[in-house]
Amino acid sequence: MRRLSRMSLTQRLTLMFAAVASSVLLVLGYVIAASVEQHFEDLDKEVLSGKMELTRQALQSVTSQEHLTLFTHQLAQSLVGHHGLEVMVIDEDRSVIFATANANFSPEAVISQAELTSGRLALWTQGHQTYRGMAAQVSTAAFNSDGAPVTVYAAVATDIAQHTTYLRSFLQTLWLFVAAAIALTGILGWAAVRRGLLPLRTMREQAQVVTAQQLSHRLPLQRMPAELAALAQSLNDMLARLEEAFARLSGFSSDIAHELRTPVSNLMTQTQVALSRPRSADDYRSVLESNAEEFERMTRMISDMLLLAKAENGLVVPLRESVDLTREVQALFDYYEAVADEKHLQLTLMGAIAEPVLADRLMLRRAMGNLLSNAIRHATPATCVKVTLGQQPDAATVSVENLGDTIAPEFLERIFDRFFRVDTARQPSDGTGLGLAIARSIVVAHGGTIGVTSAHSVTKFTIALPRSTVLT
Amino acid sequence: MKILIVEDEPKTGDYLKQGLTEAGFTLDLARDGVDGLHLALTENYDLAILDVMLPGIDGWGVLAGIRRAGKDMPVMFLTARDAVDDRVKGLELGADDYLLKPFAFSELLARVRTLLRRGGKPSSDPFLHAADLELDLLRRRVSRAGQRIDLTAKEFALLELLLRRQGEVLPRSLIASQVWDMNFDSDTNVIEVAMRRLRAKVDDAFEPKLIRTVRGMGYVLEDPACVA
Repeated sequence: MRRLSRMSLTQRLTLMFAAVASSVLLVLGYVIAASVEQHFEDLDKEVLSGKMELTRQALQSVTSQEHLTLFTHQLAQSLVGHHGLEVMVIDEDRSVIFATANANFSPEAVISQAELTSGRLALWTQGHQTYRGMAAQVSTAAFNSDGAPVTVYAAVATDIAQHTTYLRSFLQTLWLFVAAAIALTGILGWAAVRRGLLPLRTMREQAQVVTAQQLSHRLPLQRMPAELAALAQSLNDMLARLEEAFARLSGFSSDIAHELRTPVSNLMTQTQVALSRPRSADDYRSVLESNAEEFERMTRMISDMLLLAKAENGLVVPLRESVDLTREVQALFDYYEAVADEKHLQLTLMGAIAEPVLADRLMLRRAMGNLLSNAIRHATPATCVKVTLGQQPDAATVSVENLGDTIAPEFLERIFDRFFRVDTARQPSDGTGLGLAIARSIVVAHGGTIGVTSAHSVTKFTIALPRSTVLT
Repeated sequence: MKILIVEDEPKTGDYLKQGLTEAGFTLDLARDGVDGLHLALTENYDLAILDVMLPGIDGWGVLAGIRRAGKDMPVMFLTARDAVDDRVKGLELGADDYLLKPFAFSELLARVRTLLRRGGKPSSDPFLHAADLELDLLRRRVSRAGQRIDLTAKEFALLELLLRRQGEVLPRSLIASQVWDMNFDSDTNVIEVAMRRLRAKVDDAFEPKLIRTVRGMGYVLEDPACVA
C-alpha cells in the first residue's frame, strides 16, 4: 500500500489501465475458446447421432442370425466415405459382431458406456488417439433360443485429432493476440496517461516560477482541467495568504524602522548638541530628562509592536475567564475620569449585559481602554462619551462613541492600521499610534469583530464578541 | 540591604550598580553565572537580580543553585526575552519577579523595594504623615496644616501609595497598576492629570510642595526638609 502510494501517478495509472485491459481480454479469449470447442462438439454430436440412427435401423431389420452377414455388408457400404468414423457392434456375449478397421474399443467399456450414458457423447482414448463417441443398446428383430429378442450394443465414434489440432493452433493464435493486445494497451495507456497528465507538469513548471520576490505570480486557471483547476485555485489561495503575510511582515519591519527613526534622530541630535560645548548642570539635566521621556515612549512602542507582531501571527492566546463587562467599564471610567473631567467630558454607561463573557480580562480591558482613551482624546470638550453594552443573539457588543470631527470614509477603513493617524500633524500627547491596532488585534484574537462608523460628528467604535465567549 | 547583581552586559551592569548604589543599597556585581553562583552561596544577600542569558551558568541555573543550597532570598529576573514559557519557568524555579528589558530604572527600583519590603511587617499605625500632611486610614480623611482636604476615592488611594513609599520615585506604570489595577501603558496622560489634580488639592495652597515630578521617571512624594 505504502509502495503504491509512493509510485508515480503515471506508473499507477498505466498499471491500473493494463490490469483492467488484461482482465477484459482474458475473459473474452476464454469465452471465444469455449464457444469454438462447443461448436466442434455440436458438429460431432450431429454426425454421430445420424450414424447411430443408421446403425439402429440396420440392426432392427435383422430378423435372424443369418442376416447379420448381410447387415455387415450394408453397414460397411453406408459408412464408405466417412473418414475417421468408427463403428462397433457387440452382442450380449461381448463378442464383436462388426467393427470398422480402426475400431478396437474394449467391449466392457462400450457396454458400460451404453448402460450408463445411452446416446450421450463421451471421450474415449485408444492408443494415442482420442475419439468422441456414443454407445447404445439396440434390439434386433431376431429371437434367441429362449424366444426373447436379441439385443446388441452398438458404438459409433469419430477421431477428433483434427479438431484438437485445429483448436490448439486456434487457441495459440488467440492467446498470442491477447498477450499482444495487453502489451499494446499498456504502452498506449502509458502514453495516454503521460499526455493526460501534461497539465500537471505545466502546473509544476509554473509553480517553480514563484519565489519570495515573485509571490504575486498566480497559476493560470483558464486552460486547466476541472480537477486541477480546483487544486490550482487552492494553491493560488495559499499564495495569496503567503503574499499577504509576507507583505505584512515587510510592512512591519519598515514601519518599525520608520517609526523608530524619528525618536532616535531626535535623541541623537539633542544629545550631540548638548555635548558640543560645556553647559550648566541644569541644561544637562533637562537634556537627560527629555531623553528619558523619549526612551520611555520607544520602550512602549517596542512592547506594543511585539504584542501586535504576536497577535498577527496568532501567538496571542487569550485566557478564558468570566468577565463582567459592566464592572470593567466602570473600572475604566474610574481610570479615565480625571482626564475626561479636564475636558469637561461626561462618561456614561448605557445598557447592560446580563451574563459575563468568557474572555481574557486584562486584554479586554486594554482593548476597551484604548477605545475609550481614543474617544476622550478626539471628543469635543464639554460633550458626552458614551459606552453602550448590548446583547445580540450571537454576540455581546460594546460600543464607544464620542462627538467630534467626522472621520472621512477613506480614513475610516485605515483607522485600525498601525501608526495611522487621521491628523498628520501629530500632537505630543499622542501615544504610539498603535492603540486602535492593538484593540483590533485583541478583539480578533478573541474571535470577535471590531468596526467603526462616523457620521454627523458622531464617531462610534463597536466591539462584538461572539456568543461562544458569552457564558450561558 | 545587600543586593547581588549577575549581569554580563557591561553597560547594563555598570548602570545598575551605580543606580542602586546611589539609591542607598550595598551591592556586588558578578559578570558571569559561575562567579554569581559562587558569591550567592558564600555571601549573605537580601536580594539577587539575575540576567537570564549568562555565560557559564545561565540565570535559571544560578537560581536553581541558590534554591538547592537552601537560600530563600527573593530573586528577580531581567530578560530581553518575552516568552510566556520563560516566565513560567522562572516562577516555577522560585523567582519572585520578572522584569522585561528595556525597563525603566524607576520601575526596577520600585520593584526592588517591594521585594525587600516583603516579609517586613506592615505598619499598624493608622496615620501616614509627610511634613504637615496627615492621612487617616481608618476614617479615610486627609488634612494638611490642620485643614481638611476632600479627595475622591482614587485620589485618596493615590496619595496613600505616595505616602507609603515616601522618597521613592514611582513610575507611571506602577501607579496605574497599584491605584487603578490597569496593567497596560495607556496612550493618554491619565496619570499626569490625576497627579496634577491631587497636587492642586494637596500642594497648591501649601508650602513646602511635597509631590514632585521627576521627568522621564515618575513621581515622588517627599518632605524637602528631610531630603536636605
